Amino acid sequence: MILTRCFTPARPSLTWRHTRILMGLLALASPALAGESPAIHFNRDIRPILAENCFRCHGPELKNRKAKLRLDVREVAVEKAAIVPGQPEASELIQRLDSPDPEEHMPPPASHKTVTPAQKDLLRRWIAAGAVYEPHWSYAPVQRPTLPPVANPKWTQGAIDAFILARLEEAKITPSAPADRCTLLRRLALDLTGLPPTPAEVEQFVKDRSPKAYAKQVERLLASPHYGERMAVPWLDAVRFADTVGYHGDQNQNVFPYRDYVIASFNRNQPFDQFTIEQIAGDLLPNPTEEQKIATGFNRLNMMTREGGAQPKEYLAKYAADRVRTVSTTWLGSTMACAECHDHKYDPFTQRDFYSLAAFFGDVKQWGVYQDYGYTPNPELAGWSNDHPFPPELFVTNQYLLRREAQLNAEVGQLVEAEMAAATATAPGRESFQSWQSEIRNFLKTSPDGWHVDLQPTVKFANSNSPATLTVQPDGRILCAGKIGKADKFQVSVALEAGWISAVRLELLPHPDHNHSSLRRETGGTEIRLGAEVKPAPGRTTKLQFYHAEATSKRPIYENGYELLDVRRTWKLGTESATNRQSAVYLLDPPLAVAAGDILEVNIEADALGCFRVATSPLATSSALGSGATPEFIQALECVPGRRTRNQKQTLASAWLHSTTQSLSTFAQLKALNHEILECRHGITPTLVTVATTNRQLTRVLPRGNWQDESGAIVAPAVPHFLPQPQVAGSNQLSRLDLARWLVSRENPLTARAFVNRLWKQFFGNGLSNQPEELGAQGEPPTHPELLDWLAAEFMDSGWDIKHIVRLIVASAAYQQDATIRPELRDLDPNNRLLARQNPRRLEAEFVRDNALWIAGLLDPEIGGPSAFPYQPADYYANIQFPNRDYLASPDARQYRRGVYSHWQRTFLHPMLANFDAPAREECSVDRPVSITPQQALTLLNDPSFVEAARAFAEKLLRAPKVKSDAARVNLAMETALLRPARKAETASLVQFLDGQRKYYAANEAEAQKLLHVGRSAPATVLPPAEYAAWTSLARVVLNLHETITRY
Amino acid sequence: MSFPFDEQSFQQSINRRSFLTRSAYGLGGLALTSLFNPKRLAAAPDPRGIPGAIQPLHFPPKAKRVIHLCMAGGPSHLESFDWKPKLKELDNQPFPASMTNGQQLAQLQNTPLKARGPFVTFAKYGQSGQEISNLFPHIAGIADDLCIVRSMHTEQINHDPAHAFMNSGSIIKGRPSMGSWLFYGLGAETENLPGFVVFTTQGKAGQQPVSSRQWSAGYLPGKYQGIQFQSKGDAVHYVGNPEGVCQSTQRQVIEEINRLNGLLADEKLDPEIQTRIAQYEMAFRMQTSVPELSDFSSEPKSTLEHYGIKRPGDGSFASNCLMARRLAERGVRFIQLYHRAWDHHGDIEKNMPEAARDVDQASAALVQDLKQRGMLDDTLVIWGGEFGRTPMGQGSGRDHHIKAFSIWMAGGGVKPGTTWGNTDELGYSYLEDGQDVDVHDLHATMLKLCGIDHKQLTVRYQGRDFRLTDVHGRVIEGICA
Repeated sequence: MILTRCFTPARPSLTWRHTRILMGLLALASPALAGESPAIHFNRDIRPILAENCFRCHGPELKNRKAKLRLDVREVAVEKAAIVPGQPEASELIQRLDSPDPEEHMPPPASHKTVTPAQKDLLRRWIAAGAVYEPHWSYAPVQRPTLPPVANPKWTQGAIDAFILARLEEAKITPSAPADRCTLLRRLALDLTGLPPTPAEVEQFVKDRSPKAYAKQVERLLASPHYGERMAVPWLDAVRFADTVGYHGDQNQNVFPYRDYVIASFNRNQPFDQFTIEQIAGDLLPNPTEEQKIATGFNRLNMMTREGGAQPKEYLAKYAADRVRTVSTTWLGSTMACAECHDHKYDPFTQRDFYSLAAFFGDVKQWGVYQDYGYTPNPELAGWSNDHPFPPELFVTNQYLLRREAQLNAEVGQLVEAEMAAATATAPGRESFQSWQSEIRNFLKTSPDGWHVDLQPTVKFANSNSPATLTVQPDGRILCAGKIGKADKFQVSVALEAGWISAVRLELLPHPDHNHSSLRRETGGTEIRLGAEVKPAPGRTTKLQFYHAEATSKRPIYENGYELLDVRRTWKLGTESATNRQSAVYLLDPPLAVAAGDILEVNIEADALGCFRVATSPLATSSALGSGATPEFIQALECVPGRRTRNQKQTLASAWLHSTTQSLSTFAQLKALNHEILECRHGITPTLVTVATTNRQLTRVLPRGNWQDESGAIVAPAVPHFLPQPQVAGSNQLSRLDLARWLVSRENPLTARAFVNRLWKQFFGNGLSNQPEELGAQGEPPTHPELLDWLAAEFMDSGWDIKHIVRLIVASAAYQQDATIRPELRDLDPNNRLLARQNPRRLEAEFVRDNALWIAGLLDPEIGGPSAFPYQPADYYANIQFPNRDYLASPDARQYRRGVYSHWQRTFLHPMLANFDAPAREECSVDRPVSITPQQALTLLNDPSFVEAARAFAEKLLRAPKVKSDAARVNLAMETALLRPARKAETASLVQFLDGQRKYYAANEAEAQKLLHVGRSAPATVLPPAEYAAWTSLARVVLNLHETITRY
Repeated sequence: MSFPFDEQSFQQSINRRSFLTRSAYGLGGLALTSLFNPKRLAAAPDPRGIPGAIQPLHFPPKAKRVIHLCMAGGPSHLESFDWKPKLKELDNQPFPASMTNGQQLAQLQNTPLKARGPFVTFAKYGQSGQEISNLFPHIAGIADDLCIVRSMHTEQINHDPAHAFMNSGSIIKGRPSMGSWLFYGLGAETENLPGFVVFTTQGKAGQQPVSSRQWSAGYLPGKYQGIQFQSKGDAVHYVGNPEGVCQSTQRQVIEEINRLNGLLADEKLDPEIQTRIAQYEMAFRMQTSVPELSDFSSEPKSTLEHYGIKRPGDGSFASNCLMARRLAERGVRFIQLYHRAWDHHGDIEKNMPEAARDVDQASAALVQDLKQRGMLDDTLVIWGGEFGRTPMGQGSGRDHHIKAFSIWMAGGGVKPGTTWGNTDELGYSYLEDGQDVDVHDLHATMLKLCGIDHKQLTVRYQGRDFRLTDVHGRVIEGICA
């Protein structure tokens, strides 16, 4: 594959050149050249100067206001003669700025602020022109501006371009040429899906002469299920989505279905207003769907604690403030954090606004400290430990888990069929299967349900001092009476029949002597631990291993937030279930052939057992409780061999392979698959949700943010007082649903602006206002205010259609420009804010990883599901306790899942993610920094994920057909990674590098082997190690290139 | 982001560019001479270093670097540096409610409060006569070098937020830690090692978790974050070459990456590419300097014994103290050692002496070693926890306490042989006698000693100028020499 036509611009270059000349001519004729000073806009030019230097003492905040002067309100400024419209020299503002007297001079020297001569000049001219104020741009209603006239309408692809070009023309800058098609498609794919295109897709695009070629690519990528993953990343930063609670022990929280909800919402282009309402108040909608409840996990993503000694009230105050910061930053683009302690100094947010916003969430069921301690009792959480989850949770269906379960079941089926085919291809195999069937038929004659019960077991207490007595009933049950021992250890010996045993069952049976319960206690329950050994002859024992055990009923046991399904270690049973027969089945690892009369000794540790029975079976299946002879099994066995259906054959084969040691390797594979199937939990998983409680938490204004100070006023839910108020019928207290609807109402000036501004940043590297978290007075006035308003209006008027806005942005000529830096603009527009070109941008952390795995062909493209565990340095969690944490890297293909699915440990974020600037998501964050550090170099060079990817990439290169020379293969490497042809100098350099590596690894084959074995996947054995290692080195170089991790 | 244009990196990349031209990237085969010059690996600070944001400094600096020995968990001031005979007398008696009414408590919430007398003895040490408990005999031995502050107080009563407050002056996440601020303001005297290095160790009891956010750069650029050195495996994450890659192969890989990046830079004219090239060079220098740093073979046996190191590089607190000195010698700006062992809610009489034994000898040895090498004058050592412990008992231990705790400092322009500040006669609260020191004051003072006016070390973020001390902090001139 050679990308020969890569450098053809997306639109014919002739037109381009033509346009440029035309534009130059028009520019000459424009009035901007006539030497007039451009008009002064208060918001753009004046407000930032006043906000920076004056508002601290002469702004909205009452407490620190000096001389009762406000410069943010024109009436006050004029009344106090600080500003005399039309007369700058008579204005005290100007006099003070110029005053040589340190007592008089403003800003005061102690403030370390200076107003530059250029700024003073602006202020003078503004006052001279009448000192016209404008409402702060972001608080003014969103009105759709008319499109500005441009001199070169041919360049524009739509409204966006008109605004961009008008500014460029004003500055007499010509836009850049469109990017070449290779660059353009790579940019588009990375921006829309976080994954690069394939070389074939690039090739196709380059060759596509249709005028709709680009639009087709846009639609293809918008329809990709990976679009949702890409769009989710900034959203998950904003809502601070993570897998752990963040405070103190940083325990796991179960909330991944919320991430799936976010991804799915973007994929199906759920309107942003609905997306908002569901997250903040999905539970309050009429008949909420499961998805809408999952969405309310948003309200639970604040950090939580269960530290001993933490004060519930203090933490409830922290959670409340965290929610206010998140909602105000994410939706209102306003940093309200300072209003926790005092009225905002620069914006009209008051402290009361802060707590009134917090009050909306007063009905969210939560705990300040998620545990029941003597000093801070929480009776609802009695008995909870550090391993418990963080309630309330909802059990929901997860599509990923269902797909995975089905896929694993299919794998089991294939494995069983393949193994049967292999086994019965030989005469001994066929005989073995036949004789097993006969044995089972015989066995079923005496034990029709597939379970063998010794009617005369012997039983005693292993701890001989138990006060209880034991009697064996005629049906093999064992009845206990008398006092309950402290920690009873029952030892039951049963005689076995000849054949296989593959499962052991313990039944607990209600008995009239024990008030029709199987336990001898009224409340509570018991914990049961079971071990067993077979004694074929006196003095010889085989200790049985179990690989899995299931019970018909159990109380949950948690391990780091997740319920253990397997009762192998402990079966916890509550008295509430003991009035029915309950049983647990333990599967042998591996099954054991026994002779008639062999003794099975079962040791049961449990107190308060009332009546129980032990049985064994030669028939195990993938699910422990399905062991024994099921009707399906009996039907299959009875059927004439030639007439068995495929399912029946499967049933028999599966039982044979699960119940014998016919093939130990198959048995081991089945075991592993069964474990994975079990972990899918039939697609049901818990997730944090919002449960509204009628017992609302009262919200008070906390003076100076002090949670112990109860002198502040109690506040009702309310939106910031200076913004248009929600229109709600009746006088009821406002609810979360009212808040959500208000956030996305047409009258709210902030939400749409904040969101489209962040979208813009995603596609251009900078926001139109480049402080996306702060659109207030202290933020940056937008470079293109009309464009921002136009986009905000379009967003709302389109029904909050996110894909529509994305499509408009990527379809613009501005977006499609080349990204090459233009030295002639260095002084004119040093940060490229006028967008005379695209901005190159390093990929975000998750996509740095995805891109490497994709290039290597390792990426697991599955969508959704539980978080995955990429390789991580040993002991990285050594500083985490309560409970202590192990980290097991995902042992299978899930190792190569996309970065968006990485386990997000708030206190110790995976170092690869942290090194590439991903936030720990402890706090709402809408603006990831982009740093360049040595840690990034070390990660790409040495993190096993990237070394393994390099090895897999090398294998892909070496297996490529029809590539003859080193140079051609080097080109292929560059084309695969960068989606452009290699330059001659690059090829030459890499070929020379390869030679050196080849020589080294030829002389050091042991080193080659070591390099090839980094990571969990096995290297290809057919490739010569030295050659393979040399190409791995080369692949490491390519994966480390600046260009590989940069989107141009 | 608040750093749309990083003047400093830009300047560096310009310098780098001329350097690159000289070293002839793109021509192939030529080694990076300065990169692999063995002299660069010597212990002397790298003369190039990383320039700081504050140029010139606001004051003549007394301290060039800071070593913070963080006694994580909150050591009892009542059994270390704040002798309260009255509390001993009141042992097991009801604690005066007048002191505790309306005050914050942690695990003692909703329980009757009784005084717990200190279980140790105090004596006066050195010519200065500093009062130190018998749990710290080695630290007592350097009494005349110490400036003990007994009037510390904080706002946060639980470990996690208290560490955050101690490090960043705020409990809101995403604020830079003091190490990052100092590194940002002063730069570092090395390009071979990170400017801010963190170690953690733990004792046998009284451990509490410590989050990596404690050394986060917050809204400062990522390069100012603290880098945690590990006691097992690679000292720094990913600093070791992959299996099967020797140092010379790794060097060739990096040279090749940079050669190709150089070609890209010629085409794209993007200063970021130059920065990337520089960071690969630094990464390689770290790969070579870190093993040299961790190699204690050049340290005489007497030094190891002085610190009480059983096995060099065993990841113990003692070994890390020696490492701290070696990092200080090599130009690292801020070195932070956490010892997680001080949360003594119960069994304080057994566990606190144990924790003290973990750190006493090595902490004192570090100060003496620095002094012997003439480095104590410009190295500020700070020893202390995130809060103190209640004078009220909690069973066999003490609860968290924020109204008073003790720390000590040494070197770096603090007054040696001084005790500063007072608490009431039961050690419950600092006295408002003008000598109290809150966390912001500590930060302001630390910055002052390093030549920085805490009010002028600001960074614009979320539309306003932020600083380590927020709107608080006063320099405690009384402890500055």
